[in-house]
Amino acid sequence: MFQRSMLLLAATLSLGACSILDTSPPDQLSDDKAIKTPGGARAALAGAYNELQDGFYYGGTMTHFGDLLADNANHTGTFTSYQDGFLHDFDADNSDVTGMWNHIYDAIKRANTLIDRVPAVTGFAAGEQEQILGEAYFLRALSYHNLVKHYGDVPIRLAPITDPASAGNITRATVAEVYAQILTDLGEAEIRMTNITNPDNHATVAAAKALLARVHLYQGNYALALAKAQEVEALGYALAPSYSDLFDNDDVNTTENIFKLTFTSSIDQANLFGFYWLSDQLAVGAGRFEIGPTQSLIDAYDTLSTDARLAWNIQPDINGGGYVEASQAGGSYGTKFPTTAGAEDFHVIRFAEVLLIEAESFAQLGQLANAVASYNPILARAGLDTDTLGVDITTQQQILDRIDVQRRLEFAEEGDRWTDLIRTGRAQAVLGISANQLLFPIPQSEIDAAPTVTQNPGY
Amino acid sequence: MKDWRGWIVGVAAVLLLGAAPLSAQSITGTVTDSSSVRPLEGALVSVVGTGKRMLTKATGSYSFADLAAGTYTVRVQMIGYAPAEKKIGLAAGEDATLDFSLVLKPIELEELVSIGYGSVTRDNLTTAVSTISADDITATPNASSDAALAGRAPGVQVIQNAGNPGNAITVRVRGSASISASNQPLYVVDGVPIISEDLSQLGLGGQGIRAITGVSSEDIASIDVLKDAASASIYGSRGSNGVVLITTKRGRAGESSISFNSYFGTQRASKKIDLLSGPEYLTYMREGALNDGYDPDDYFPTSGANTDWQGEVFRTAPISSSELSAQGGTERIRYRASGTLFNQRGIVLASGYRRIGGRINLDFQAAPRLSIQTSLALSGERNDRVEADDNLFGIVGNAIAHEPYFPVRQPGGAYSNTADGMAYVNAVDLAEHDNARAVTNTVLANIEARYELGRGLQLTGRVGVDFYNLAETQYNSPLVPGSPGAQYGGVAKRSYSNGQRYVFDGFFNYDRSFNTRHVLNLTAGTSVERNNTDRNFVRGETLTDEKLHQVSNAATVTEFSGTFAENGLLSFFGRANYTLDDKYLLGLAFRSDGASVFGPNNRYGFFPGGSFAWVASRERFLANSGTISLLKFRTSLGRTGNQALSDYPYQGLFCTSNYGSEPGYQPCALGNPNLSWEKTTQLNLGADLELWNGRVALSADWYNKKTTDLLLSRPVAGSTGFTSFTDNIGAISNKGLELSVTAVPIQPARADGFRLVTSFNIATNRNRVTKLYQNQPFNTGYYDINRVEVGQRLGAFYAYHFMGVDPATGDAIYQDIDGDGNITTSDKKVVGNPWPDFTGGLTSTVSWKRFDLTGFFQFSKGNDVFNGMRVFSDEGGYNYDNKFREVLTRWQQPGDITRQPRASFDGVSGAREISDRFIEDGSYLRLADLTIGYALPEALAGSLRMTRARFYIRGQNVFTSTKYKGYNPEVNSNGSTGFGDNSSAQLATDFYAYPVARTWSFGIQAGW
Repeated sequence: MFQRSMLLLAATLSLGACSILDTSPPDQLSDDKAIKTPGGARAALAGAYNELQDGFYYGGTMTHFGDLLADNANHTGTFTSYQDGFLHDFDADNSDVTGMWNHIYDAIKRANTLIDRVPAVTGFAAGEQEQILGEAYFLRALSYHNLVKHYGDVPIRLAPITDPASAGNITRATVAEVYAQILTDLGEAEIRMTNITNPDNHATVAAAKALLARVHLYQGNYALALAKAQEVEALGYALAPSYSDLFDNDDVNTTENIFKLTFTSSIDQANLFGFYWLSDQLAVGAGRFEIGPTQSLIDAYDTLSTDARLAWNIQPDINGGGYVEASQAGGSYGTKFPTTAGAEDFHVIRFAEVLLIEAESFAQLGQLANAVASYNPILARAGLDTDTLGVDITTQQQILDRIDVQRRLEFAEEGDRWTDLIRTGRAQAVLGISANQLLFPIPQSEIDAAPTVTQNPGY
Repeated sequence: MKDWRGWIVGVAAVLLLGAAPLSAQSITGTVTDSSSVRPLEGALVSVVGTGKRMLTKATGSYSFADLAAGTYTVRVQMIGYAPAEKKIGLAAGEDATLDFSLVLKPIELEELVSIGYGSVTRDNLTTAVSTISADDITATPNASSDAALAGRAPGVQVIQNAGNPGNAITVRVRGSASISASNQPLYVVDGVPIISEDLSQLGLGGQGIRAITGVSSEDIASIDVLKDAASASIYGSRGSNGVVLITTKRGRAGESSISFNSYFGTQRASKKIDLLSGPEYLTYMREGALNDGYDPDDYFPTSGANTDWQGEVFRTAPISSSELSAQGGTERIRYRASGTLFNQRGIVLASGYRRIGGRINLDFQAAPRLSIQTSLALSGERNDRVEADDNLFGIVGNAIAHEPYFPVRQPGGAYSNTADGMAYVNAVDLAEHDNARAVTNTVLANIEARYELGRGLQLTGRVGVDFYNLAETQYNSPLVPGSPGAQYGGVAKRSYSNGQRYVFDGFFNYDRSFNTRHVLNLTAGTSVERNNTDRNFVRGETLTDEKLHQVSNAATVTEFSGTFAENGLLSFFGRANYTLDDKYLLGLAFRSDGASVFGPNNRYGFFPGGSFAWVASRERFLANSGTISLLKFRTSLGRTGNQALSDYPYQGLFCTSNYGSEPGYQPCALGNPNLSWEKTTQLNLGADLELWNGRVALSADWYNKKTTDLLLSRPVAGSTGFTSFTDNIGAISNKGLELSVTAVPIQPARADGFRLVTSFNIATNRNRVTKLYQNQPFNTGYYDINRVEVGQRLGAFYAYHFMGVDPATGDAIYQDIDGDGNITTSDKKVVGNPWPDFTGGLTSTVSWKRFDLTGFFQFSKGNDVFNGMRVFSDEGGYNYDNKFREVLTRWQQPGDITRQPRASFDGVSGAREISDRFIEDGSYLRLADLTIGYALPEALAGSLRMTRARFYIRGQNVFTSTKYKGYNPEVNSNGSTGFGDNSSAQLATDFYAYPVARTWSFGIQAGW
C-alpha cells in the first residue's frame, strides 16, 4: 500500500510538473502578442520615441560629439572614447561610435516595427492610425538623416528583421540613396499625420516640414529648403521672447517649439547633458565634467559682448578666472542644461533653426535682403544689434559667414556644430583635419557581423 | 512524456529482482580501538558484495540479519583507522560473531563519499570526486565555506575576487566551460540544490554576495566535489561546472555531547600599495605639466601635506566566531542542534559582516522500516558593504587615487574635498557618511523519508525548500561634497530580492548481491524543482533631512522596478553500479532534464555517464603485497549540461520602454526557439595508489573536457536594431592533470610520538576556445582587455605590446603589428594569460605529545593579472590619481634608458594606452594558514568534566610571495559572474579591489 501510494505521489508530481516547464516573463510580452490593439500601437510609438532619449543618441553621445568634434568643446574628462573623438582619432571599435550606430538603428528598428505592424491593427479612432504611421515615418527619416550625416553611406533597412541568419546580408546604400529614402519617408509623414503643430513632444506636420527644410539644406537644395521653411513659418511659429525660456523650464511651451524630445529625471529617461558638461565644483551638483567650452567658442560670443546666449550657455571660471576655456583643471563650464538630473527636454528642431535655414537659403539664392531679414530676429532675441544690409553687412559671403556664426552661437551645446561645419565645407579648414576624418568609421562590430558592409576610407 | 513510461518499466524490473526468496542467517560483533580497547561508535561495517552496511552503535556493536548461507567478507572502515576485513563462512541456520580491533591509521580520509542521491565508500568510487573534511572547512576564515576548497581539492580553483567580508568567491572546477553562462558549480546541501546566485540589486563593483554564505562552515561534515562528467551527470543539465555536495553534521546515537568552538582574532590589511608621497607626487605631476608645455603653477601647488590615504581608510578589525552544538540520541531518535555566530569587521572603514545561524538536524526511526531525516537551518546575515572597484565613489579606489598632498581635513576641520580641488570625493568622508547594507534571512529545510521495502530496496522521498530573503538599503549622504548624495540632495535605495526554491525528489535505491560475487546498486527516481525570484527596487532622491535615510523621505523617485521570474525543472535520473568480485566496478548513470528556460523545440535533454574501475590490488598477484595496499584504475566518460543563463533566454520579447508619461514597449530581444543546453563531454582517467598500509596515498586524474553548443550572445549587425541574440554556438575545451599525495614521512611508534603528515596537490588545466560564431573573436571586460578567440585561452589578455621607452623623447613605444605607422586596434594582440599553469596546495601537520603545528600553503603559477589601477596610476600624469612608485624610475632626459615612460600631463607620451605594461605576473605562494595547538591532557580535561579541550593560535594569510604590485594577485573585479554578455570571460582584472586581510586569532575547541 505504501509503495503504491508513493508511486502515485511520484507520478502525480511528475505529471503535474509538466506545466512548470511553460513559463514566460510576467513583465514582458512575447513578440507575437505585441502591437495587436490601438493601445499596443500607441505603446510601441512611445517605445520608438524612448530610443531617441538614449545616452548614445540624442541623450548623450550624438549631441555631445556635435560640439566635441567641432570647435565648440574640449575634452576634459577621462573617457578615452570621447578623447579619441576630440582628437579625431577614432578607431573602428570606438565604443561611442559603435553605440551611436547601434542606437540610431535601434530607433529605426522601432519605427520599422510600427510601419510593419500598425496597418494590420484595427479599432483606431479616426486619423489615429495614420498619425501613428506618419510619426513612425518621421522617426525613421530623422534617424537615417542622423546616420548619413555622421557615417556617409549606410545600410538601409525598411523592415524589422525576423530571421537573424539573414541579417548579415546587407550592403551600404549611397548617400544619395539614403537621402532619397529620407525624402520618401518625410513625404509619407507629411501626408499621413493629422496633428499639425501639437503635441510638441511628438512629430507633427510642422516637424516633418521643418525636417524637410533641414534635409534639403543639407543637400544644397536651397529653393526646396526655403519653401519648406516658409511653410513652417506660415503655421504661426515665432521665436521665444527670451533665449533662456527655451531651456530653463521644460514645462514651458514656447511658440518656438517644433519638436522637443521629452526627458525626465527617471534614470531610464534622463539625458546626460548636465552630467557631462557640469563639474562637481559647481553648486548644482556633481557632474563628471567630461566636456567643456573652448576658448574659440567663448571668443565667438565675446566679440559680441552683450550676447544673452553667452550668459545662459557658459558660466565663467568659478575661481574668478573669467571666461577661460575648460581644461581638466576646470575653467568655464557649459551650462545650457543647468542640472545634472537630466530632466531637461531637448529641442530636436526649433523655429530658430527654421529661420536660419530660411536665411541661408535666401542668401544662397542671392536674396540678400530677405536673408538678413530672416536672421535678424535671432540677433535681436540675443540682445544684439540687428543688421542692415549695405550698412552692417554687404556681401553674400559675409551673410553666409554671419549665419554660420549665428548657428554656432544659437545651437552651442546642442550638438549641431560638427555636421554643420561638414555641411558648409568648413570643417577641414576650421579643425585642421583630413577629408577622411569627416566621416565616422563604420563600427567594426557591424562589419564583423555583416562582412558585405565596407569601411570608410582611412579606418 | 515518453520518459515516464520507460521509468515505470525500470521500477517494475527493480521490484521483481528484489522479490527472489532467500533464507536468513546473521553476523554480529563489536568494533574496538586496538590501543585503548574502547568500543568504537560510528564505524562503517559492510558485508562485501551484499550492499549491506551499517554504523556501529555506542557500544561498538553491529549486526546483520537476513544473510543467505555462504562465505562473506565483512569490512570495517572508520575515519582515522586503517580498514579491516575478515572472512567468514555461514552454514545454513548458523549465526556468527565477528569482532574487530581497529588500528589507528596514519592518514585520515573521508571514507563515505556523497555522489548525489546516494553515497559510496571511497574504495568503490569509480569517478573523480574530491572531498574536504570538516576540519579544513572550519579552518577557513571566510563567510563562504566553499573557500575551503582553495588549495585542497586539486582541479578546483578558488578566487577570492576581493577581500571584503562576506564577498562572493569564484569557484572553478576543472577550468571554465562557458563564456556567457555561469561557470560556478552547482551547490547541493543535504541533497537539495540551493540558491547560490548573487541576487543583489545594488551595483557595488566587483563585490558580490551569494546565498552560499548562509551555510555555516561549523555545521558542515564534509564537502564532496563531483569533478568528472560521469559523476556529475546525475545532476544532468546543471553538472558541467562540477557539483559541490555539502553534507551537514548529524547526531549519533549514544551519550549526548556538547562542543564549543570559538576563536577571536584581529585582521589587518596584508599589504599597502606602494604609492608616491605628497612631495614626490607634486614633483612628478609638475614635471609632467612642464614636459607638455603647461605652467605647473596653474595646476599644482609647490608643496602640501603628505597623507597616507590607504592608512586613513584601513583599520585593525576584529574577527570572531563561536559555535555551540549538542548532539546525541538513541537508536530511534538522534539529534544535532547548533548555534553559530560569526562576526567580521572589515579592514576598510564602514565594512563588515555578521552571521547568526541555527541548525537542527533530527533523525528518527518512525517505524521499523521507516526512517525520517529532517534538517532545518536558519541564518541571518548582515553585510555592511562599501562602494568598490568600478566607480568614482569607492573607498578603496579613492584612497589609492587621492592626491597625497591633500590633508584628510582642511584647517577648519571639514574634510578636504572636490571643492578644495581634489579630483575625487574624499574616501574618509564617504566612509563616514554613506552606507550600504544587505540583510539576508535564509531558511534551508528538508525532510527526507526512507522506507525499507525489504530485500535491499529502499524508497526515499524528499522535499527541500530554500527561502532566501535579501533586503538591501543604500544611502548617499548630501553632506559629502562631490558625491552623488550631494548631487541629488541625498540618495536612498531600497531593494528586496526573494528567492524561493522547492525541490521534490522521489527515488529508489536497490542494493543487493548475488552469490557473493555480484553486487548491484541501483538508483532511479524523479525530481521536480521550481524556482521563483521576486525582486523590487526603488531609488529616491532629495531627502527631507540628512538624518532621514529612507526612500520614503525622498522628494522624487527616479528608479523603480518590481517583478518576478520563475523557472522549473522536471527530471528523471538513474544510476547502476555493478561490482564483480569486489575488483571490477562498473557505473552507469543518467539524468533526463526538462527545463522551462529552453524553448519547446529543445526542452528535454539526456545526460548519460559511464565509469569503470579495476581494483588491481585485490587481484591475487597483489593481494598479499606488503607494499601496495591499494591500487585502483578508474576511467569515466559522461555528458553534462549547463543551463544557467537567465529565466527566459529563448523568447522574443517586448520590454517596457516609456516616453515621458506615455507607457511604451519595444522589441527588446530576438527570439531563438531552438535554444538548448551547453553540452560538456568529459573523459576522465584516474588511478589511486596506497603504499605501506596507507602511509603514502597517491591519486592522479587526467581529464579531457569538451564543451559544445556554448550559449553565446551571437552578434548580429547593429543595423538590425539588435546587437545580439542567444544561440548555441562555440566550443571550448579544458584538459588537465590533477595529482594529490598524502604521506606520513614520520610515523611514531606511540600514539603521542612525533608525527609528520604532509599532503600536497597540484593541478594543471589547459583551456582553449575552439569554436566561435564564424570564429570571430571578440573582447569583453574592463577596457575590453579579455579576448575570446579561437585557439586562445578564454579571456586571454588582449592589448598593445609595450616595446619600451624612446630614449630620445621618453614616449612609450608600442609594437606596430600591421606596420601602418599608427598604433590602432589592429595592433593589439594576446599579451597575457589569466589562467594559471598550475595551482595547488601543501599542508604539513606535525604533532608531538599534545602539541600540533599545521602549515598550509597555496600556490598559483603562471597566471597574469590586469592591474587596471595603473590605467590611472601609471599613465604619466594624465589623471590626478596618485601614482605607483614605479614612476620614480621614469625617463627624465634624453638618453635615459628605462622602461618607465616620461611624465606627461596631457597623455601624449602614450603611457596611457592599455598595453601589457599593465599586465603583471600574478603567480604567488601563500602561507594561508599557520596553526599551533595544544590539547589539555585527558586527565586534566576530565577533572574539568570535559572530554576534550584544545587551544590554538592561528595565523591566516600569513605571507604571500608575489611580484604582483596590487593588493592581492587572487583577484577579479568582475566578480564571480561578471557583467552582461560574455561575463564568464571577464577574468583576472584588478580594478581597485578590496584588499585581503592578514588574521591572527586565538581559539578554543572544547567538548563535554
